Amino acid sequence: MKAALHRGLTVALGIALVTVLQGCVAGGGGYYEGGGVDVVYGADYYEPWGYEYGGWGPGYRVGPSRGGDPHPHAGGGGGRAPPYHPAAPSRSMPSIPSRSRSR
Amino acid sequence: MPRSAYPVRQLLAGGLLAILLVACAAPPRAALVPLPPLTQPSTNEHHVGKVIWVDLVTPDLTAAEHFYGGLFGWTFREIHTGSTNYAVALLDGRPVGGILQRALPAGEHRQPGWLTFVAVSDVDATEQLIVQGGGKVLAAPHTYPQRGRQAVFTDPQGAVFAVLASSSGDPPDFLAAPGEWIWSSLIASDPGADAAFYQALFGYEVFESDNEGGSEHLILSTEDYARASVNPLPASGHHHPHWLNFVRVLDTEQMAVTVTQLGGRVLVEPHVDRHGGKVAVVADPFGAPFGLLEWPESQSKENLQ
Repeated sequence: MKAALHRGLTVALGIALVTVLQGCVAGGGGYYEGGGVDVVYGADYYEPWGYEYGGWGPGYRVGPSRGGDPHPHAGGGGGRAPPYHPAAPSRSMPSIPSRSRSR
Repeated sequence: MPRSAYPVRQLLAGGLLAILLVACAAPPRAALVPLPPLTQPSTNEHHVGKVIWVDLVTPDLTAAEHFYGGLFGWTFREIHTGSTNYAVALLDGRPVGGILQRALPAGEHRQPGWLTFVAVSDVDATEQLIVQGGGKVLAAPHTYPQRGRQAVFTDPQGAVFAVLASSSGDPPDFLAAPGEWIWSSLIASDPGADAAFYQALFGYEVFESDNEGGSEHLILSTEDYARASVNPLPASGHHHPHWLNFVRVLDTEQMAVTVTQLGGRVLVEPHVDRHGGKVAVVADPFGAPFGLLEWPESQSKENLQ
């Protein structure tokens, strides 16, 4: 009787320990994590308030080139070296991909 | 106390102590929501420096689905786990972005935005370069088994961006269909300095574009494709640097009207840009800005030849 009780307690403790250890492993992620805890995913970021687009006047161009345009100011234009390495003057302005999926 | 009961009680006490110790040391168990791969089937292509994903964080997933579904015809595959509500936006079955619902931080004046993910081959090595270059880590690198490894940063001027090493490969370099993301612009306080920062990360070629206003407009390129522009912040008003992504549309003016009908706002009225098509900047009902950009296929250089 006592031996059976001993064995039963041992098995119960073992199951409890395994359950807790599984919880440790499952929390390791690979997913957006939710449930009762805070989401760990770092993309849940809100920007500071206040985008301002009022200054987009004539000449404020954000879009891509159609490609093949000259590269007019390679080297910084005004003579002062820019902080980046400009594309070589021989390179023409690239465009976005133009190949369609259906082709 | 009978001698025979002692080992049983000792075992019970020791076992309970062990469980308590382990439980206290363990992180709280989280419910898991699987993120799908970026490309299905896998492309096994990698295009470092290309914008390959965007995630919107919004306080109302249902309202966002109504807006973007009505505007672009996107459909949504929702993933709910615990308190996390996420949806993958699809266009003709292809994933075009993710939408994560999160409550706006109480007491803070913040606004939703689309987070830009740039392709890298090694997130951890990129993190080192970012920190060395003056950027900051917002979310340390983490691996999402089906999606890949990613992390979120700010550049030295404060613009938020993410990098992703996709485990299924990057989307191929096709012309975006109407309703897909086609272009990205970095609005920076110092375009030249930011171009140098991103050039060090992604190996961009930097082209100086012709402009009329005398301000610096740059084009970032890899693999002989333009990937993004870098533009200066407007000189006046309250601004902060940020990435702005554009969806290809067939008619910018008509889409701007639809934006307002669906509860959004027009931030920059439709106007002709350098490629000859019209662009506009709009915001969804919760203030997340994004661009609309016309790109007739006949305007592509390869189609003109």
